[in-house]
Amino acid sequence: MNCQELAYMLADYFDGSMDPRLHEELDRHLARCEQCMAFTKTYHAVSDKARRLRRNIEYEIPPEVGKRLESFIHAATLKFPEEIKGYRKQVERDRRQKVAEFVGAATAGKLSWATEILLETHCAACKECGEYFDAFRTTDTLPDGDPPEGIHSHLIALMQTLPPGEEFFLA
Amino acid sequence: MSAERWKDDEALLESLRKGDPGAVDELLRLYQGKIFNLAMSILKNESDAEEVAQDVFMTVIRKVGTFQGNSAFYSWIYRICVNTCLMRLRGKRRNETVSIEEFMPVFTDEGMHASPMDDWSKEVERDALNEELGRMIRKYTEELSEKYRVVFVLSDVEGLSNEETAKILGLTVPAIKSRLHRARLYLREQLSRYLREGKAG
Repeated sequence: MNCQELAYMLADYFDGSMDPRLHEELDRHLARCEQCMAFTKTYHAVSDKARRLRRNIEYEIPPEVGKRLESFIHAATLKFPEEIKGYRKQVERDRRQKVAEFVGAATAGKLSWATEILLETHCAACKECGEYFDAFRTTDTLPDGDPPEGIHSHLIALMQTLPPGEEFFLA
Repeated sequence: MSAERWKDDEALLESLRKGDPGAVDELLRLYQGKIFNLAMSILKNESDAEEVAQDVFMTVIRKVGTFQGNSAFYSWIYRICVNTCLMRLRGKRRNETVSIEEFMPVFTDEGMHASPMDDWSKEVERDALNEELGRMIRKYTEELSEKYRVVFVLSDVEGLSNEETAKILGLTVPAIKSRLHRARLYLREQLSRYLREGKAG
């Protein structure tokens, strides 16, 4: 590896995507070439410095621009409360659906292993949810309609603690 | 930093979707500076950046109900901002302010550095230099053409991963890396010249 080749590989070198053998070769070159050592250090200093300087600086917006922006957005959002109401209803519908699926999966014994444990832990601590789910188990019935508001919100909270992308039920 | 950001964003997203009073104010409080600065660094013009910021927040508020959540909330907002800026730049072909080629490292035929290298990496660690360096980095970044500038700002300044930047700009990861690399080489050279002349003067 010569100096020119080294210079062209520095992005890979610093983002960790470099082949380990090339990485070693590059390190060996650096150890014996002062020019490249200086080049590499100053190359790294650019991004390092840019990021750290930015972190120290408050993201500034000129006060008058900020004020204008705020009043513009406020005025504009007043114009479409209907639209927002529509979205809100949609979100409400989606959640109801999610909760229904959850209760369905729970009573059918189809929760994922991790979710099962989460729900059991919650039911042990929460009388309301505990009794709600026990009732299905002891009477061997299936849920009819949405759960009461309190349980609804507990289940929403429970589902939100799952890692993003994690499905609560078994496929 | 990103864990904090993620937590704030989750709560904000939730309250925007519910239409909580104050959610829009919170959105503006958290993002107006970031969005304005990102728009400024792409457009380099305050009144353009202001209009873009208006458009960006309107889009975010209108579309938050349909945001799928497949990417992080902040990267979604950045993408909207970058796209809005690029749409504004289209048709307004700007002249390249500098030729980046002049600032690429020069090598001999044997592939060795053609000129001596100073190692100023320790020097710039000094706090006393922070303000001046910040100004110079901003100045040199603004001189870059938009193609390099946007990538450098998102990846190195904002600290997004190459994958996130690629997603926001709709480019491949290798394309992001090559632009980022060239932007850094350019800034490295400019800072070297600046510090060398500073010392001489």
